[in-house]
Amino acid sequence: MTAALVALPVSIALLTGAYAPQQAGSAPLEPTLEARVHKLGKELRCAVCQGLSIADSPASMARAQLDKVRELVAAGKSDEEIRSYFVARYGEWVLLSPPAHGFNWLVWIAPAALILVGFAVIIRQIQRGAPSASGALAKPRVDPQAVEPSSPTIAAPTAGDEYLQRVRSELDQ
Amino acid sequence: MNWKIAVGASLACIALVVILARGFGRDPHEVPFMLKGKPAPDFKLRTLDTGHQISLAELRGKPVVINFWATWCGPCRLEHPVLVWASREYGSQIQFLGAIFEDTEENARAYLSQNGTPYPQLVDPLSRTAVDYGVAGVPETYFIDAAGVIRGKYAQPIDPKTMAAQLKSLLEARASAEVQK
Amino acid sequence: MNSSLGCGLVLGALACAVFGAVVGIGTGLARRDSGTPWVIRAAVGFFLCMLLANLTMVWALVSHDFSVKYVAHVGSRATPLVYTVVSLWSALEGSILFWGIILGTYVLAFALTNRGQHARYLSLALGTMLGIGVFFAFLIAGPANPFSPVSPLPADGPGPNPLLQNHVLMVIHPPMLYLGYVGMTIPFGIAVAALLRGDLGEAWTATLRRWTLIPWTFLSVGIILGSWWAYAVLGWGGYWAWDPVENASFLPWLTATAFIHSTMVQERRKILKLWTLSLALATFLLTILGTFMTRSGVFNSVHSFTQSDIGPTFLVFISLLLVFSIALLSTRGQMVAAEGKLRSPLSRESAILVNNLLFVGITFTVLLGTLFPLVTEAVRGVRVSVGEPYFNRMAVPGGVAVLFLMGVGPMLPWGSANPQLVKKQLLLPTAIGIAVALACLAFGLRGFLPILTFGLAGFVGTLTLRELLLPASVRIAEHREKPWTALLRSASRARRRFGGYVVHLGMVMIFVAIAASSSFVTHTSGTLRVGQSLKVGDYGVKLVGFQTGAEPHRRWKAANVELVGRDGRAETLAPRMNFFERSTDPIGTPAVRSSLFGDVYISLLAFSDEERTATFNAWIFPMVGWIWWSIPILVLGAVIAIWPARKSKVARLGTPQSSASDRVATADADRGAA
Repeated sequence: MTAALVALPVSIALLTGAYAPQQAGSAPLEPTLEARVHKLGKELRCAVCQGLSIADSPASMARAQLDKVRELVAAGKSDEEIRSYFVARYGEWVLLSPPAHGFNWLVWIAPAALILVGFAVIIRQIQRGAPSASGALAKPRVDPQAVEPSSPTIAAPTAGDEYLQRVRSELDQ
Repeated sequence: MNWKIAVGASLACIALVVILARGFGRDPHEVPFMLKGKPAPDFKLRTLDTGHQISLAELRGKPVVINFWATWCGPCRLEHPVLVWASREYGSQIQFLGAIFEDTEENARAYLSQNGTPYPQLVDPLSRTAVDYGVAGVPETYFIDAAGVIRGKYAQPIDPKTMAAQLKSLLEARASAEVQK
Repeated sequence: MNSSLGCGLVLGALACAVFGAVVGIGTGLARRDSGTPWVIRAAVGFFLCMLLANLTMVWALVSHDFSVKYVAHVGSRATPLVYTVVSLWSALEGSILFWGIILGTYVLAFALTNRGQHARYLSLALGTMLGIGVFFAFLIAGPANPFSPVSPLPADGPGPNPLLQNHVLMVIHPPMLYLGYVGMTIPFGIAVAALLRGDLGEAWTATLRRWTLIPWTFLSVGIILGSWWAYAVLGWGGYWAWDPVENASFLPWLTATAFIHSTMVQERRKILKLWTLSLALATFLLTILGTFMTRSGVFNSVHSFTQSDIGPTFLVFISLLLVFSIALLSTRGQMVAAEGKLRSPLSRESAILVNNLLFVGITFTVLLGTLFPLVTEAVRGVRVSVGEPYFNRMAVPGGVAVLFLMGVGPMLPWGSANPQLVKKQLLLPTAIGIAVALACLAFGLRGFLPILTFGLAGFVGTLTLRELLLPASVRIAEHREKPWTALLRSASRARRRFGGYVVHLGMVMIFVAIAASSSFVTHTSGTLRVGQSLKVGDYGVKLVGFQTGAEPHRRWKAANVELVGRDGRAETLAPRMNFFERSTDPIGTPAVRSSLFGDVYISLLAFSDEERTATFNAWIFPMVGWIWWSIPILVLGAVIAIWPARKSKVARLGTPQSSASDRVATADADRGAA
């Protein structure tokens, strides 16, 4: 499989074999601020990579963006201001997690909605199949799993034996 | 029950196929260009050869073209002659600037001493200005009008025709602004 | 010569596939068995043509025959032999050719192992599978033809993408993934045959189950190897980026896992038949969707093949498959009617239903997240990104719920449960789970989610081990067998159950490893001069020198570092930057020191020759190695579950008149054929 490069994909022909010098970034700030830089870095998308955050990407562009975040954090900007700075220049696209407003609510709500609907369906199925309706199902089934712990025809001894019998019968498949 | 599910599933699948089909033809790597029509971010960078500072604010009143490039970028080398030509043609009316992106000064000097440049080349340490402009790779050329507003951006190696068209529109905008004054 | 030979072979494969599909489905729908031997012959033909075509391509690659288009595209005289052979699957056209041989192998294996049985379904199933083969053979013969001749003859080629020459895992990860991905065609064919025929017998269900488990195993291994490759090669310290193509491989895995569980409910309680078949169809559809996502150029991904024209062709194919599947399910669905009912919420079938719901929910979430940028652009005209932060936030609750169910489900009985019994059975595992959580807190670990995960892992692990060992201990008590014999016998008597629980143990390992390696990471970065060192966790990393090297296809520069642990022992690691001819940015190879408790991971970000400095990123990832070490456990469990038992072969054939039994309604003749 051809993997597109993680870093700058703009250069198509390499005429001379020159390589982008990998330059070190700015010096890290003190720990709490640096942690903020890292956290914001994880939320912002590297402008040249395939979906990596600027904290993760080794590309020089990503390092430059992270340096900018560091500069803004050191200048005392809030997280929201830093995000708006990047959105103003690169668009909503630069945020790796779609901000929850307007149409984007769909991607945040739909999964939970599906799970809830699914639960409702399951509960309805269980209610439909409740013991009161099972009289209609009394057809003689060849059911090797003859022993069921809840079956009233068995004089259930101790709970341990019940369990053992269940495991045993399960194994006889 | 069956028909409801069938219709629902069909609608979902039609939506899926339509969305995937709409994806054709668009470039998934394209980065949005947000600063169109907005004031160009100011900068104060030193030039590569003389070391004196150039700031965008002091160039107000004249259209400016900024080209971000690097020596390791093949397409940048390809477009270099176009920029040299344009700056010679229009240099009296439009200020051309080059900004070196993610490269060392030695590399830039070596390249420029061989290929020449009639306009100032700026050093952008840690690419602060590039990020400020929303650069997402090189080459990128920004067209800023006399009032300091970004009119256009070209994110590929530029050819003479596009360059001429963009520059003409910059000059026309300036002319009409002057007429209004 | 290679060109024309290859083209001819591919056309031959196309012809065999067309013949097999037409005869198979035609005679199957007409309910005649006479076509089956011909379909099997067509499968043999398809396999042979694909095999020879692939061998021709490998030969062309190795002999650097640049007159063949694909070789001119990815071949290079400088590439080492291993990567030259492997470049068969390194770019789009070659990988579709590789898809063809994997498909041919699977179809042939299925045909040969089922020859003489399942007369009702076999030709329909094989016909469907060869029908899918028609599409791929058509792609190879037409739009994505790797064998086209090239003129003028180039002297050399650019070589495969550098990222694919950096690590030996490139040799094994794609084949494993393909064996998983392509293999899902087989259960698709089986399910379609059942729907076309209008019923689903016990024996055929057993076949469906086994032939889903086989590709599922390969897919699991392929995905884990892929994440290992990302970790060891890409240098950002992560192993899963929720990249669109990674998601594309994950989606069919999720539905296949849901299928494996729901098929148990179908077998025991005779319900959920239509749902199970839908899952089988969905799994295959997701593999085709996934391969579309990889190859269409529509998605921004590390794995994307270069822009190609086959996107629209794939989309048409997907549309046809969707129409076909929906039509099939809605018209034939009522023929596979349920014969039982769901009775109690406190039962294994309810647990499995919730499991299915969760898996489908996760599938939907991952699919929606991956497609959402396209949706937004179509609706709003604005580009958004849906990346790691979103997926991690959504996946974590789902994962925790799945982990919990993995423990509770096996503990609940089929049918309905005695609540008292359930409570009693829960005591020990819950106690152990809480003990584990408290131990973590005592050790100083903090964080609600990881500690919850570890506690649940203790809970699930105890439950699973108990279910695994209890039958053996019963055997020891009653038959006085030796422990090892008892274990083996109990395993072989209930392979699917035993194997399934072993797989569960492997999954618990993965959950624990993921929780530990994401929540308790230590990270440092810094620039060092020779002789300086930085501290990461309990380790010191000292730069001692530089080293360069050159190979035919790349040059590299390494920074030698000395890693000093808490015990004072030092070892040398050498994270590198590799410079390939074809790219402007170097590609880093991190240096990783693995141990049972975690990895020390160092990647070289930058270096300066004049100042003799190097910039590093250093991490400690606790327990991350357990993710890849779980592979043998998963494979062991799957092999145990898949292994056919001799007695069940008899059961599968039903009455002594072997194949005649298939013609008789087999609805309740036999149970649980493995």
